[in-house]
Amino acid sequence: MKRGYVIITNNPIVGGALGGKCEVIYITCTYEDILKKIRDKIHLGYRLMSHPLSGSVKPGETPYKSVMLSADANRVDMKSLSMIESAIQSCAKFNFKQDCYDGKILEDFQQVDLSLIKSGIDSAGIG
Amino acid sequence: MRLELGSIFIKDIQFASELKIESGTLYVSKDALRQVVLEDEKIKGVEFDIAKPGESVRITPVKDVIEPRVKVEGRGGIFPGVIAPVDTVGEGKTYALKGMAVVTAGKIVGFQEGVIDMTGKGAQYTPFSQTLNLVMVCEPVDNIKQHDYEQAVRLAGFRVAVKLGELAKDLTPDETRVYETPTIKEGFTMYPGLPRVAYVQMLQSQGLLHDTYVYGVDAKKIVPTILNPTEVMDGAIISGNCVSACDKNPTYVHLNNPVVHDLFDEHGKTINFVCQIITNENVYLADKQRSSDWTAKLCKMLDLDGVIVSQEGFGNPDTDLIMNCKKIEAEGVKTVIITDEYAGRDGKSQSLADADAAADAVVTGGNANEVIILPKLDKVIGTLDYITRIAGASDKTVLEDGSLEVELQVITGATNETGFTKLSAR
Repeated sequence: MKRGYVIITNNPIVGGALGGKCEVIYITCTYEDILKKIRDKIHLGYRLMSHPLSGSVKPGETPYKSVMLSADANRVDMKSLSMIESAIQSCAKFNFKQDCYDGKILEDFQQVDLSLIKSGIDSAGIG
Repeated sequence: MRLELGSIFIKDIQFASELKIESGTLYVSKDALRQVVLEDEKIKGVEFDIAKPGESVRITPVKDVIEPRVKVEGRGGIFPGVIAPVDTVGEGKTYALKGMAVVTAGKIVGFQEGVIDMTGKGAQYTPFSQTLNLVMVCEPVDNIKQHDYEQAVRLAGFRVAVKLGELAKDLTPDETRVYETPTIKEGFTMYPGLPRVAYVQMLQSQGLLHDTYVYGVDAKKIVPTILNPTEVMDGAIISGNCVSACDKNPTYVHLNNPVVHDLFDEHGKTINFVCQIITNENVYLADKQRSSDWTAKLCKMLDLDGVIVSQEGFGNPDTDLIMNCKKIEAEGVKTVIITDEYAGRDGKSQSLADADAAADAVVTGGNANEVIILPKLDKVIGTLDYITRIAGASDKTVLEDGSLEVELQVITGATNETGFTKLSAR
C-alpha cells in the first residue's frame, strides 16, 4: 500500500526497524548534510511532515536525523522551507564532536532517533 | 477544588537501620529502600548516597528529581495512574517533605546529561544544590534495552519517593497552605472585575527519553485538556524526560511548578486563576496543528483574558510554542511565553528555532550556551566518564587543574522554562 510519506534518514537502523512499513531513503552523511538534502527536496515541492529538530539531543551531539517528508511533490511549501532553513541555521550554534563517540554511544543515538521518528509514524497512523 | 498542602521540613538525612522521620531528620534504611527498588526484576542493584548543600559533591548524570509526598485525606494517591491507582487527585490534604529530594542518577544512555553541584559556581545555577539529596544509582540487568532501563529507573524513583512520603502520614506539618480554585461559573461571580488567566503548560512528548505522563498516559497521545492546578501537586504529571538537563522539567518541578504557585499567589487579588491547560510537543507536524488549534479553542471557550505559556526543551518545541502563542493571541487572549535560549556561546545567534510578532511578551530562563567553569569537587556520585561527550561539553572540557569548562546546558535546571531557577536579572 502506498503511504503518504517517506522517511529520509542517515540512521542505519531505521530501514530495518521499520520493516518495509514505509519507504525509507537512507543517505550516508552528517546531521547537517541530511538537513540540506531535505531542503533540496523541499525546493522540489516535497513537504515536511515531522519536525527537523525533533528531540532535545542537540545537532552535533547526535550524528543521526530522520525526517518524514510527503511522498508527493507539489508547489514549494514556504512553511516547510522556513522550518528547514531555521534548523540548518541551528546547527551552527553547537560544537560538532561526533568523532569521539564509541560504538555503544552511537547505538544509543540510533535508538533515540528511531524512537523519535517512530512516534511521528505512530501519529501518522500505521503503528 | 481545594487542596491543603502541609510542609514537613526535613533538616537532615542520615543512614540508619530503620526508616523513619524524627525531629525533622529523615533516617534512611538502605535495606528497606533496596527492597522497594528491587521489586522490579529489570534492576539488579542499587547504591544510595546522600549529598548535602555546601558539600564538595557532584551528582551526574541526573535522570530525575522527585519530592516525596503523601496523600493524607481526599481522593486518590500520589502519582495516580503510575504508583497509586487511577483516581482524580488535587483535593483534600497532602503532605510534602520539604528541603529534600530523591535524585535518580546513572547512565541510561551513553550521552546522558545532568550535573548537580552541591557547592561552587555550578551550585548557583541548579536549585537542587539547596536540597538534601538522597541519590539512588540503579544498575540494570545485563543486556537491557534503553526503553526498559529508562522506565525501570523512572518507576523506582517514584516508588522510593512514595515510600518516604508515607513516613510523614501521621506527622504534624510545620506549615500549611490552602490552594483553591472555584468552578467556572463561581469564578465569574466571585471575581467579576478580575482578568481571567490560565496557565498553558506544554509537555515534552517526542519519544524515548523525551516523554511525560499525565495520570499514567503518555502525553504524546493526549489532546489538550484542562486540569485543576492542584492536581499537579499530587503528581498528576510526571517526567520521563532525561534529555536537555538545563530546560527539562524533573518531576520535582511538576509538583512545585512555580507558574502555578505564582498564579495562586495572585488569585483573587489581581487575577482569577481559572485553570491549567496541558498540551504536548509531538514531532508530527499535523499533531502540532491539532494541539495548538485545540489549545487556542479552549482559551476562547473559557473566556480567558490572558495566559502564560511555558515550553519544555529546544528546537521542535519552539515551533509548538510559537504556534500556541499566535493562535491564542488571534483569539483575542493575551499571551506571555516562557522559554530559554540557545543563542550561541557569544549570545549573538537567533535564540529560538521559530519566532513571530505575536510573541511580544517573553520571559527567558537564560542562554543555555553560556560557558561557565565548574571547579573540581572532591566526590562524584554517579560517573564523570561521559562528561566530555555530552551536549555543552567538548574534548576540551576537562582543564589542567581538573575543573570543567562547560555550557549551562549540562546543569540540571539551569535554564528551566517554568522559571524554577535560582538566578534572575533582577
